[in-house]
Amino acid sequence: MAETLLGILAAAAPATTAILLAAMGGAINLQAGIVNIGLDGLMLAGAFVAVLVAAQSGSSGLGVLAAAIAAGVIGWLFSLTITRLDANQIIAGLGLNLAIVGLIGYLLPIEFGVQGTYLPAGLKGLPSLRIPVVDALPGIGPILSGHDPLTYLSWLSVPIAAFVLCRTTWGIALRATGADEEAARAAGIPTRRWRDLSTVAAGVFAGLAGAQLSLGVVTLFNKNMTGGRGFIALAAFYFGGGRPWPTAAAAALFGVFEAAAAQFGSTGLAPQLVQMLPYLVVVIALALVGWRRAWAGQRRARLMLAAGSSSDETAP
Amino acid sequence: MSAATAAGASVPARSLRVRVASGLEVLAPFVIALLAGAVVLTATGRDALGFYRLLLEQAFGSRLAIANTLVAATPLLFTGLATAIAFRAGVFNIGVEGSLYLGAFAAAWVGFTLTTLPGIPLVLLALGAAAASGALWSLPPALLRARLGVDEVVTTLMLNYVAILLTSYLVNAHFLAPGVANSMSPLIADQAKLPSLFPPSQLTVGFPVALLAALAYHLLFRGTTVGYELRMVGLNPRFAAAAGIGLAGTILVAMLGSGLLGGLAGGFQILGVNYRFIDRFSPGYGFTGIAVALLGRNTAVGMVLAALFFGALANGGTMIQLFSNIPLDLINLLQGVVMIFAVVDLGRLTLARRVAGHG
Repeated sequence: MAETLLGILAAAAPATTAILLAAMGGAINLQAGIVNIGLDGLMLAGAFVAVLVAAQSGSSGLGVLAAAIAAGVIGWLFSLTITRLDANQIIAGLGLNLAIVGLIGYLLPIEFGVQGTYLPAGLKGLPSLRIPVVDALPGIGPILSGHDPLTYLSWLSVPIAAFVLCRTTWGIALRATGADEEAARAAGIPTRRWRDLSTVAAGVFAGLAGAQLSLGVVTLFNKNMTGGRGFIALAAFYFGGGRPWPTAAAAALFGVFEAAAAQFGSTGLAPQLVQMLPYLVVVIALALVGWRRAWAGQRRARLMLAAGSSSDETAP
Repeated sequence: MSAATAAGASVPARSLRVRVASGLEVLAPFVIALLAGAVVLTATGRDALGFYRLLLEQAFGSRLAIANTLVAATPLLFTGLATAIAFRAGVFNIGVEGSLYLGAFAAAWVGFTLTTLPGIPLVLLALGAAAASGALWSLPPALLRARLGVDEVVTTLMLNYVAILLTSYLVNAHFLAPGVANSMSPLIADQAKLPSLFPPSQLTVGFPVALLAALAYHLLFRGTTVGYELRMVGLNPRFAAAAGIGLAGTILVAMLGSGLLGGLAGGFQILGVNYRFIDRFSPGYGFTGIAVALLGRNTAVGMVLAALFFGALANGGTMIQLFSNIPLDLINLLQGVVMIFAVVDLGRLTLARRVAGHG
């Protein structure tokens, strides 16, 4: 039993990476006031570009870099439609996902002569790095060590994002933009630039997430390879309210779900029911937040009534 | 949200110039999408003009082609209407896809379970089950929004995936057709299959019913109190509340109506086209419905035309894929571009805005 659990956790670490990276990007975006529904498409674009460049150059590192840049640029263009052309961010995000899926699905057979899966000759994946000492620890060794570099980067990204958002003037300007754009602009903050920058960041993170899928988890490209992880990332940063640590906690939880679903799949238990959990968790979390808010609002109203009038009718 | 209110606003008929400008605004997303497709086709060494000519021919070139286009447009008109009824009330329901899955599953279940019933009661029961399940699926996010003020965008989006996985679980774990390897339910009873109005196409009574639904939608917003209340809540919720319109009730009506139409979309797809529930069968009818509502500017006539446009793309694209090597995925690209540019304020790029007198 304990062994199964440790096995699930060791599998959960790399399964979390793509969700965590994309969720961190989405969290930064949300802090600047943009709900990025396009993460899934950006992730797919990253996965695709990573494989293309890694195969051409023979370097998985260059593949990762190219994925980050490509998705960052797409994120920037996406952002322009929102900040300069007043596009509705939800619809534009759904449209972006469709457009990217369509473009890649079109290019695969036309330009590369394959259906769905692209595995260029000589494609090398990311190396797995073993941390000395930690690697040898019984039980937690395989959980903490032996992963691809992007997994470690995803872990580092959490404290870095938390620090930048909370402790730097950049982070404060970005959060001010998201909290109240009018007020932030009145205070002299170039809010549109900050929203664009945060969407570029979301693109870069999603691109890295995609590269981890196509060069880390497996070494190939498949047009369905995100498996909706962009939406699970959306669930994670929504659950975390855009704050890095709670977002990371949710991403880790969802990574465990994914690893567990894979585990149960082999034992005959329905994986769909486990795969459902991230989505359900978010709906339930939002319901609880709404319920608490409504309850607090009612209590406040009752208190105000009780204070304002001498009658006892409204007292609980 | 801005798309809903902007799309719900009527076009003032002030002068010819204004009308031309707003006409251009309506057509712009189509044109941009077709141009984007042409760029991609040309860049990959394909004949763009030839592709579009072929598309037109395959979608409208013969009576059978037109019938097939109508078949493809049917679920899109339902999901478009479903999306628009919520948009009009200022409710951003993007969960029609989920209602569609639940409705489809319910219709299939009735169709392959109550096989002893005669045709008409069985069909009506299956469609009723589809509509009811679709509406029921939209009830939790509707209540959350109406009672607790929980943003419906994320809840409805998330519940789409829950619906896809739930029906996938149901069909795989409990209702797998015997002797079939793929994730399909058994076939529905023969008398539950809707007869073709124009064989060999699968044009059934589904399309006229969708048109009737569009007519009902039009009348709802033209001459009924409920429609007036929905529109008022969408345009200005605070004013509507001050005028004595119950916000919570109106939001519930909008969401339930939306879910009901989404469920019907799924039901007609099963009874008229697929004849069984297939795991993840929808290529995104619910999401295309959003594009239909946006392009149709939430008007009944506009949405019929938009559904025909996307139906033609889907049908023509499928036919072209059969005998040339241009993949259907190109249609997704066009649709994505249409969605982005349907919500973009193009006035900021062109003179149309100044001509129309907005800025």
